[in-house]
Amino acid sequence: MTRAAWLFAAPALLGLLLFVALPFVLAFVLAFTNLRLGSPLPLEFVGLEQFHRIFSDPAFLRALLNNAVFALVVVPVQTLLALGLALLLNRRLKGLALFRTLFFMPVVFPLSLVSVVWILIFAPGANGMMNAFLETVTLGAWQPRDFLHDPVLALPAIMLTSVWQGVGFQMVIILAGLQAIPGGLYEAAAIDGASRWRRFWHVTLPQLRNTLIFVVLVTTILAFRLFDQVQIMTQGGPRNATTTAMYEAVQAAFARQQVAKGAAITVVLFLIVLLVTVLQRRLVRQEREIA
Amino acid sequence: MKRWWVNGALYLGLMALALVFIAPILLMVAGSLKPDARVLIEAGSWRALLPDSVSLRNYGDVFSRVDFTRYLLNSLWITACVVVLGLVVNAMAGYAFARMQWRGRDLVFGLVLMILIIPLEAIAVPLFYQVTLWGWRDTYVVQIVPFIANAFSIYLFHTYFLGLPRELEEAARIDGAGVLRTFVSIIVPNARPAFASVAILTFLTQWGAFLWPLMVTSGEAVRPLPLGIAAFYTLPPLQWGDIFAFGVMMVAPVLLLFLVFQKWFVRGVAATGVKG
Amino acid sequence: MSRRWLIVIIVLGLSGCSDDAATPERPDVIHLRAWAHAGQAAERRVIQAQVARFNERTPDVDIKLTLIPERSYNAQVQAAAIAGDLPELLELDGPYLYNYAWQGHLQPLDGLLPGDLSNDLLPSIIAQGRYRGRIYGVGVFDSGLGLYASRRALSRAGARIPGGPADAWTAQEFTALLQALAAHDADGAVLDLKLNYPGEWFTYAFSPILQSAGADLIDRNGYQSADGVLNAPAAVKAMTTLQAWLRGGFVDANVDDGAFVTGRVALSWAGHWEYARYAGALGDDLLLLPLPDFGHGTRTGQGSWVWGMTATGKRAEAAARFLRFLLEPGEVLAMADANGAVPARQAAIANSERYGDGGPLRLFVEQLTEGYAVPRPQTPAYPVITAAFQQAFFDIRDGAEVRAALDRAVAAIDQDIADNKGYR
Repeated sequence: MTRAAWLFAAPALLGLLLFVALPFVLAFVLAFTNLRLGSPLPLEFVGLEQFHRIFSDPAFLRALLNNAVFALVVVPVQTLLALGLALLLNRRLKGLALFRTLFFMPVVFPLSLVSVVWILIFAPGANGMMNAFLETVTLGAWQPRDFLHDPVLALPAIMLTSVWQGVGFQMVIILAGLQAIPGGLYEAAAIDGASRWRRFWHVTLPQLRNTLIFVVLVTTILAFRLFDQVQIMTQGGPRNATTTAMYEAVQAAFARQQVAKGAAITVVLFLIVLLVTVLQRRLVRQEREIA
Repeated sequence: MKRWWVNGALYLGLMALALVFIAPILLMVAGSLKPDARVLIEAGSWRALLPDSVSLRNYGDVFSRVDFTRYLLNSLWITACVVVLGLVVNAMAGYAFARMQWRGRDLVFGLVLMILIIPLEAIAVPLFYQVTLWGWRDTYVVQIVPFIANAFSIYLFHTYFLGLPRELEEAARIDGAGVLRTFVSIIVPNARPAFASVAILTFLTQWGAFLWPLMVTSGEAVRPLPLGIAAFYTLPPLQWGDIFAFGVMMVAPVLLLFLVFQKWFVRGVAATGVKG
Repeated sequence: MSRRWLIVIIVLGLSGCSDDAATPERPDVIHLRAWAHAGQAAERRVIQAQVARFNERTPDVDIKLTLIPERSYNAQVQAAAIAGDLPELLELDGPYLYNYAWQGHLQPLDGLLPGDLSNDLLPSIIAQGRYRGRIYGVGVFDSGLGLYASRRALSRAGARIPGGPADAWTAQEFTALLQALAAHDADGAVLDLKLNYPGEWFTYAFSPILQSAGADLIDRNGYQSADGVLNAPAAVKAMTTLQAWLRGGFVDANVDDGAFVTGRVALSWAGHWEYARYAGALGDDLLLLPLPDFGHGTRTGQGSWVWGMTATGKRAEAAARFLRFLLEPGEVLAMADANGAVPARQAAIANSERYGDGGPLRLFVEQLTEGYAVPRPQTPAYPVITAAFQQAFFDIRDGAEVRAALDRAVAAIDQDIADNKGYR
C-alpha cells in the first residue's frame, strides 16, 4: 500500500516541493540577509536585523493587529453567511440554479476590477452609492462619510468587500459537502419523527463537519493573506488603519526594493498563521473527543 | 397551499439578496455599455446600474486596442493546462492522504497544510530567481508548471474523499480491483462535486493571475488576459468603459464554465446502491 | 494512465520552449530590440510608424518594437533587468533611470549624440538624463505641470491673474483665493488636486512645493541624506499649508476625474495631458497659470519618459542612430503632437501650435527653460524617496502631524541610503 500511496502522491508532492517549499526556504534564508531588488552590491548576512526592524515598525505591528481583527470578524460572518446560502439553495426547486450563479458571480470577477467598482460605491458625499443606500435605509439619519479615508470605517469597508467576494467561494464548497450527505440519513431521521431543526443539528451539521472545518481553516488563512483590496482601495491607509502584513511585505519588497525585509515579514506571518491553524485544529480535535 | 407561499417568500428573499450581491457587477456591466465620460459621473445614481442608452463601442474598442484574441487564447491554454493537470495530480494526492495507509502520511499531510499558508507573494521573488535560472522566462511552461500541484486542491479533495462511504472501496476490493482501478472507476465518478469545485476554483485563480505573469513575461506572445487589461490603464483619465468591457469579456468564459459545472453539483452523489 | 500524462507534460514542455518564433537573422543586418510604453492610441501609432520608417531608411539596422502596458512597465523592466534580459533600447520612466544606471545596465550616451543636437535640447532634458556627470537617457518630450483655472470663476472672486511664472500667486494669496472661491461654491470644494491618481503623481506634483519653500526631497550635494531638508521647518510649513487646504474642505475628491470639466471646481492642479480635455470643456474660459509660490519663487515638476541603451560596441552605434532619428525635429514634433507633451527640441517647439510663441501652453516651455522646473532627485535612491514622500503625503492628507510624517519619510530614505552604502 505504501508504494502505491507514494506513487499517487508523488507528482503533487514533487510540484509542491519544487515550486512552493523550495522558494519558501529560500525566502526564509533571505530574511537573514540584506538582499535588495536589483542591487549590484554583494549580499550580506545580517542575522536578525530585518526582524528587529519590522518589529520596531509601527506600521507592521498595526498590520498584524488589523489582520487579527479582520480574521476574527470575517471568518465567522462569511462562514455563517455561506452556510446559510448553501442551505437555502440545496433544494430541488426550479430556478435555484440561477441564484447559485448569482451568488457566485462576485468570485468570478477579478478582484482588481471589482475593487475599482467598490471605490465608486464607497465614494464620499451624498452621491456615493453606499452613502445614498444607507441614507435611504436609515430614513435620512445617516450622514455621508468618506469610507475609505475614515479611520474607523475603512477596515469595515474592506471587510464588506471581502465578504462580498468570498461568500460565493465558500458557498460552493459547502454546497458540494451538502450534496455528499446521503439522502437516506434524512429519511431515517424523518421517519424517527425529527423536526427540521433537529434534522439540521443531528444530521446536517455532523455530516458537514469536515467541510465546515475546511472552510473555516481556509477562510482564516486567506484572511491573513489579505492584500488585493488594500492595495487598490486604501493603500494601507488612512494612516495604517487598513494595512495588512502582506501589504507591508509587498510594499517593502517591490515598492521599496527591500526584498529581505519583505521576506522577513512573510516568515513572521507564516509562523503566526501556522500557530493559529494548529490551535484551531487542536481545538476541533478536542471537541470531537468530548462529543 | 402552504408550500407555494413559503417558496414565494424564499424566492423574494433570494432575489433581494441576489440584487445586493450583484449590484457592483451590474454597475460594471452598465458601465461597459456607456460612453466613458458618463461611467463615473453617473456612478452615484441609480443610473449607474441601468444605462439609459446602450452602446457596444467599448467592446469594439477592446478588440481594436489590444490583441484580445491572442491574450484570450493564451489564458485559455494556460488555465486549461493548470486545471486539467491539477485535477489529476491533486486528486490522486488527496486520495492518498484520505484513504491510503502509509508510513509518514500524517506528517507529510501536516506539511502540505503548512504549505497552504504560504501565499504566492511570499515566494514570488525567490521563485522568480529560480525560473530565471532555468531559462523559463517568457514561456507557457513558466505560467503552468509551478501551479499544477496545489495544497488547497489537495486539501479539498482530501476533505471530500474522507466523507465518502467506505463501502464503495470495499465493494471494489471484493471485485478484485487494484487501487488505481478503484480510484478511476469508483471514486472519481462519485466525487463529481469535488472535481467540479476544484476545477472552478483553480480556473478562477489561474484566469485572474496577474503578479506572476507580470514578473515572468514581457513579450506579447505568451501574455495572458489580465496583463492585457493593464494596457487600458494609461494616462488618466482612464477609459472606464473600455476597462469594464474588457473585464466583462474576461469573466465570460469563467461564468460559462461555472454554468456547465453547476449541473455536476445538482446531480450530487448518486445513490451508492450499497446502503440498503 | 500515468504514462499518458507523462507524455502530455513532455509535449507541454516542448511546446513551451518553441513559442517564440525564431526569425532567421541575416548576418549583415544588426537586429535590435526596443521596448516602449504602450501609451495612448495616438502615441502608439506614432512610435510604431517611426520604427517602420527607420527600418526602411536604414536597411542595415532592424528594430523590433515591443509595447508594454504603461502601468506595469516599471515592474516588467525591473524583472527583465534582474533576469539579464533587457533589450538594447528601452524607454524608462524618467526618475527611475538613475537606479538602472547604478545597477550597471545602461550605457552612457555621451559622444553618441551630436553637439548641435545637445544644444538644441531643452536644458531640462539634459538635466534629467544626467547621472554622475554622464548622460544615460534622453527624452523625446518633457512634461508640463501647472494650475488650470476658470477665468470666469477667478474674476467673480476678484482674483488677480498672474502674467507668468515670475508673477505667481503666493501661498497666502492662494489660500485667500480658495476661501473667496469657496464662498460662492455649493460644496465648498474649489480645487482639484487629482487625488484619484495613482502613486507617482503625488511626488511629481507636490514635491515642487518643497522646493518652492526653499526645502527639498533630499540634499542634492551628494544625495546622502534627507534630514534637515525634507523635514526642514520650511518644508513643514509648506506641507502644513497643503494640509490646511486638504482638511479645510477646499479639495474635491475627484473620484470621477471630472471635477474641473463639470465645473464643480474652479482650479485644477494638473499636467499637460489634461489640456485637450480641459480646452474642450472650457474653451476660452480656460487659463493656464503657474503653481503657487511658497517663498522662493514658483516651482514646478518636470520629467517624463526617456530612452536608454544597454547595447555596447557596434550595436551601440546602431542603437544611437535610432535615437538620433527619434530626436529629429520632425519626429519630435510628431510625437509631441500625438501625446500633447512638450517637445524636447527648440526647433520642434518653434513649429508647435501649442508650445510655440503665443501658444496656449507656452507657460510650460518657459518653466522648463527658465529654471522654474526642478528635476526629481537624480539618484538611485529615487524609488525609495518617492515611496516615502507618497506615504508622507497620504498621512498628511489623513490628518497626521506634519513634522512627524516628514520625519518618518526622512528615516526611511536615510535608512535605505545607508543600506545601499550611499549608492556609490
